[in-house]
Amino acid sequence: MLKKKTQTKEILNTKLLINLDILKERFSFGLNNDFSIRLITAKFNKHELCLAYYASLVNSDKIEQTIIQPLLEQEGDSLFDVITAESITKIKELEELDDHINNGKVVLIIDGESFGYSIDVAQFQHRDISQSENESVVRGPKESFTESLHVNISLIRKQIRNRELITEVQKVGKRSKQDVQLMYLNSVVNDQLLDEIRSKLTQLDVDNVQNIELLEQFIEERPYSIFPTILYTERPDNAATYIDKGHVVLLMDSSAACLILPITFWAFIHNVEDRYSRFLYGNFTRLIRFIALFFTSMISSLYVALSNFHSEMIPPDLLFAVTAARERVPFPLIIEVLIMEIAFELIREAGIRIPNPLGPTIGIVGALILGQAAVEANIISPIIVIVSALSGLTSFAISDPSFNFTVRITRFIFIISAGFFGMFSLMIAFTLWFMYGASLKSFGVPYFAPLSPTYKSNSDTYFRKAIKKEKWRPGYLLPKDLQSSRTFERGKTK
Amino acid sequence: MKTISLSGLLILFILIGCEDMVEVDRQSYVIAVGIDVTDQDGIYAFTYQIANPEAGSTLAGIGAEQIPDETITVFGTDIMTATNTANSFVTKQIILDQTRVLIVSEALARSDQFLRIMQSTARTTEIRRSIQIIVSKENASDFINNNSPVLEQRPHKYYQYMLSRAKETGIIPDADLHRFFQITEGDADLFLGIYATTTYDPKELDGSEDEFVAGQVPKEGGNVTQFMGSAVFKEGIMIDRLTGEETRICNILDKTMNINEMLANYPDPLAPEYQVATDVFQTDNPKVNLNYDSEMNHATIDVTVPFEVKILAIPSLIHYSQNEDFKRTLRDAIEQYITDATDELIKKSQEAYRSDPFYWSIYIRRHFKDIPAYEEGDWHKNIYPNADITVNYQLKRLHFGKMLDDTKLDEVRD
Repeated sequence: MLKKKTQTKEILNTKLLINLDILKERFSFGLNNDFSIRLITAKFNKHELCLAYYASLVNSDKIEQTIIQPLLEQEGDSLFDVITAESITKIKELEELDDHINNGKVVLIIDGESFGYSIDVAQFQHRDISQSENESVVRGPKESFTESLHVNISLIRKQIRNRELITEVQKVGKRSKQDVQLMYLNSVVNDQLLDEIRSKLTQLDVDNVQNIELLEQFIEERPYSIFPTILYTERPDNAATYIDKGHVVLLMDSSAACLILPITFWAFIHNVEDRYSRFLYGNFTRLIRFIALFFTSMISSLYVALSNFHSEMIPPDLLFAVTAARERVPFPLIIEVLIMEIAFELIREAGIRIPNPLGPTIGIVGALILGQAAVEANIISPIIVIVSALSGLTSFAISDPSFNFTVRITRFIFIISAGFFGMFSLMIAFTLWFMYGASLKSFGVPYFAPLSPTYKSNSDTYFRKAIKKEKWRPGYLLPKDLQSSRTFERGKTK
Repeated sequence: MKTISLSGLLILFILIGCEDMVEVDRQSYVIAVGIDVTDQDGIYAFTYQIANPEAGSTLAGIGAEQIPDETITVFGTDIMTATNTANSFVTKQIILDQTRVLIVSEALARSDQFLRIMQSTARTTEIRRSIQIIVSKENASDFINNNSPVLEQRPHKYYQYMLSRAKETGIIPDADLHRFFQITEGDADLFLGIYATTTYDPKELDGSEDEFVAGQVPKEGGNVTQFMGSAVFKEGIMIDRLTGEETRICNILDKTMNINEMLANYPDPLAPEYQVATDVFQTDNPKVNLNYDSEMNHATIDVTVPFEVKILAIPSLIHYSQNEDFKRTLRDAIEQYITDATDELIKKSQEAYRSDPFYWSIYIRRHFKDIPAYEEGDWHKNIYPNADITVNYQLKRLHFGKMLDDTKLDEVRD
């Protein structure tokens, strides 16, 4: 970094011919088919000038109508009077020139001037806004981010009409410079947090960070951790909710999602719809989801622990059913459980990779037929099919893809640990797992906050409060403005 | 270093792994254990009733006809080692985890060997403390072999339903292993075991429904096994047996026992040749008020038992519901009847047993400074047999059911 600053910066020449040579060399003109240079003589001052741009990144109609046509036909005192495009900036350094051309701008260089003009005519291709597929809701906005930064910012700004909503640009990547947009509420967000994120981004020493999915892995604190510490969401309304609370949202071009940080454990269990549904309905869903979390991580391992080590804990009817089912099965019980769990994971992975939209259907049908046949052939017992189907099915209730992996890997850890000493080792494994989770921090925020350690907040952990009673921003973010609603208090004083 | 410690950890896991693990299908689950005396001292006959898990299973590949259980008898000195002997002809490891009942023959229960053999059950972790102790009139092995329920063929279901229903009606006590040790070690009170038999010895009918011990209940059809009444244990030795009615009274007076409902007949006070059918239920625990005079080592016990009665049938067709005098007579008669029966039982316990089956010693313990003082006071020998006991039944409410009036006999037969 220091080395570069001491280097003298290369700048543009006053002679157009020299500048043309520089351009042609820098952008491999002729070899790089995409790079275009157009020479014109301007009508207003009779000077020669050139336009340099990437043909694939710009809107050619716009170049013709707002630049070329006026230059050829219009009279005027200066360039600014002639060109009708909405934004023009002066650039001097060659590095700047690279940047602007790479970002889809037209650079205009006039003979006799030692600087160029950059005109924004960029048109990056992207998908239309579509429905959110991975985080679908019944009640609530359906739109999701798309692979265009501008569209994504506008989707968020649509929901927060506030001049304090800042979109700050940070560049990442040494060779390919990509924009990372930080979005936050200036009057709420904690400055130290912002500085930490900024420094993490500027310190990145990599050639290219293509998208947000890779950026997440570059900036997270513990890459080997089983728990995710950054929330990845494709819903603009979700992002807006978190911005309102004082979180920071990271956006990048060519990612149909955003990153939200810092984040706690609860964000992975919660779903936006919990807030969109009425108090009771939302909390009912939460209850179901926590039951699902318990089942998906524990039920197979509990089955292993109880039936292999503590058969006295199983009521006789169930025990005899398990025993009768197991009498003709060749494998030990724990192998049987692992077979079915791995089979389920295989079907799941195959289901994702099978071309749309038949995938899940074929997967489930495959599972049923496979399970049925395996049971009839006495390879596995029917109880296992129930157990693994239950644990597999409930895993879908954990909608966050990262946390879903956490839970699924955890399940295998628990099954194997239950195989050692039964409930005893299962509880040891669970305690260690939980202790590790509690020790984590996401950008300085304890993972299980505000449950432990406690902070002033809406205590939106297991269950949420009625919307009217939510009057705090989460205290663990140390926001500049802790109180988010004053209506409730006013109502009280009256 | 890291790899070494990691692989060390892994090896550790593999070496210790799966210790204690038993596959469910490699165990034989014993539902009932029977213990009998043999001709030799210190050698007992242990009978194990082993459940067949495949009985009643609808899984494909299992034959339709599966016998529900297998009963075996082996000889040994204690329950645990006898299971090992049994493995010479039982294919799987014999497990007592799921055992529901411990059946002891009356002969063994009455001998002083009983407490010795019971000790091992307290020591092992395998036997649950909630096992019910059943005293059978005949040999325990005969009891298990003769017991052939038709509806609940699977033995664990049979014992579960049979005991829980009989307990709800109060004709047998709650007699788990834990209570046995609690009372026996407490050196006060009498432990009541469940009394049952498969031998049929019907008693003459006299209209009452619960003045029987097991085996005496007249019946036709059904299983030969009867659970009725209780075996009285004093200091770990059986001394007597109580009828179903006496057991009910014990259950009513003991606040550690619960009766959900008990259907009982009482002589009709206005037409003694008939009986009044009632459903007696206890809404509150009995209030035991115990006053202890430490100088005289003498206790006065006042017991108030609130209860309610639902009239189920009045075959005499007397209009008790409409006439206040009749109603009062009925109330008094029911109270009197129960009080008489209770007094009789208390008298028997004070004079013959010289201890109480109601677990009342818990009320006197707080009057003593420490355990030696309590032991010196001696509930068994001194306090209880000489205590002044009054039991007061309070019939709080009399329900007459859906229909107040019975059929008017003279109008029907005119």
